[in-house]
Amino acid sequence: MSRILRRIAVTALFFLTINPVLAAADASEESENPIDVIGKVQDHHYLDVAGYHLYLPRILFVEGSAIPYVYGSTESAVTSGNFEELPDHSLVSTMGNDIVLDMSITSHLMYFWFGIILTLWITIAMARKYKKGTGRETEPSGWFQNLFEITFVFIRDDIARTNISENKYKKFVPYLFAVFVSITFMNLFGLLPWGVTATADITVTGILAAFTFFITQWNGSKDHWEHVFWFPGVPGWLRIILTPIEILGLFTKPFALAVRLFANMLSGKIMIICILGLIFIFAEYFNPAFGLGSSVLVVPLTVALYVLKAFVGVLQAYIFTLLSAVFIGMASDEHQHEEGQIEAHA
Amino acid sequence: MTLIFAEAASGGGGAILNFNSGFAVWVAITLIIFLAVMGKYAVPLIMGALSEREERIKDSLESAEKALAKAEEISNENEKALREAEVKAQKIRKEALDDAEVLRTEKIEQAKKDASKIIEDARNTIEQEKKQALMELRSEVAELAVQSASMIIHSELDEKKNKKLVDSFINDLPKMN
Repeated sequence: MSRILRRIAVTALFFLTINPVLAAADASEESENPIDVIGKVQDHHYLDVAGYHLYLPRILFVEGSAIPYVYGSTESAVTSGNFEELPDHSLVSTMGNDIVLDMSITSHLMYFWFGIILTLWITIAMARKYKKGTGRETEPSGWFQNLFEITFVFIRDDIARTNISENKYKKFVPYLFAVFVSITFMNLFGLLPWGVTATADITVTGILAAFTFFITQWNGSKDHWEHVFWFPGVPGWLRIILTPIEILGLFTKPFALAVRLFANMLSGKIMIICILGLIFIFAEYFNPAFGLGSSVLVVPLTVALYVLKAFVGVLQAYIFTLLSAVFIGMASDEHQHEEGQIEAHA
Repeated sequence: MTLIFAEAASGGGGAILNFNSGFAVWVAITLIIFLAVMGKYAVPLIMGALSEREERIKDSLESAEKALAKAEEISNENEKALREAEVKAQKIRKEALDDAEVLRTEKIEQAKKDASKIIEDARNTIEQEKKQALMELRSEVAELAVQSASMIIHSELDEKKNKKLVDSFINDLPKMN
């Protein structure tokens, strides 16, 4: 009985998967390009669920009004008469006022929330388990708690403790752990079918890096600021060059952090879509049989890229967390001796 | 390339390199709430539990080591006490043996003394008996001499013959004794 049910489920899933491919094929006939690479990675006002579009609410602040216009979808915004859609799909107010802030819920935001909610859920569930005594009075039970603990202890010991001074690192473990786990989830969600990589959006990585930036600067020690504005141990005239560089350096670090994560996740996604898209491009420009034949080469290549991307997803989350810890550690460190000061800036 | 980016603008959410400020507000608000919850409720609980467990494991390892050291100490003490007791027992036995030896020699001495005393007494008694016997003999001899003299006087008053008689009598004395 269960086997029959399983077979039905598998078949249903198979047809659901086929459907968007057919839909995409229909769409590509209208469009000039056989495959829309950028359209796959950019933000949308709908959630792609098994090939169907689930439209997300639009929240628009318009000039001259403190109350936002809220609509269930772009379509209802247009039918309300207050907004009209331009050919490039952006909305403008029919009253001629500019849209000040577009706080619409987008697909990237949804996947950002998914990552955050999953992290929160897992962490709180684990915290409850620890509170009850499993893991605190006894050994951790089950593979999940063990996996969780490995991750947690790794963040605490190998990322926080090794980079931030012994008396301060505990304060930053929640941030580093939250960032690591949620970025990992966001990266990996992009690998799911119809999934969207929230971290392949410069807005998300920019805000994440901004958080690291603010945490770093708020916890900057006296030594840190002294190094930025009045580099000790160098001739006076050199400070004219060094101080601007140091101030610039404050901002380049988080900027690099944001761009690194964004570019890695975006490039991986684009690469997979491009290589898989080769099948459709070949089918369009030569003939369908050629496209089908190329899949013999293309699909294994995509599988390899998928594995690589899964690895890169975790790796980039690790790099983001590690560098955040390094920046925080550098800024919050109180130097004890002269060699340490020079070393830290070497 | 231009085609791709023209397509990008038509997607709805803006081009991929755009920083969307409305979206950023959402992300920032979410992150603040997320980090607040994580930092206040979730992570410290886990950190506390983990450090508590680590502390307990460390403590129990230390106490086990201490207990082991103590047990070793106790066993050492026991062994020492046993050895001391053995030495003491040996000593006591030796002392007892020595005492016994002293007692024995004393007894032997005493016995020897007693024996010599008995012998001495016996000798003295013999000596006295002998002296008494001699005295008795003398008085007997004297009596005999007087008897014989009276006999001689009675029988013949011949000087020469008397003298010869007395001499032969005296010469015979030891033989009679």
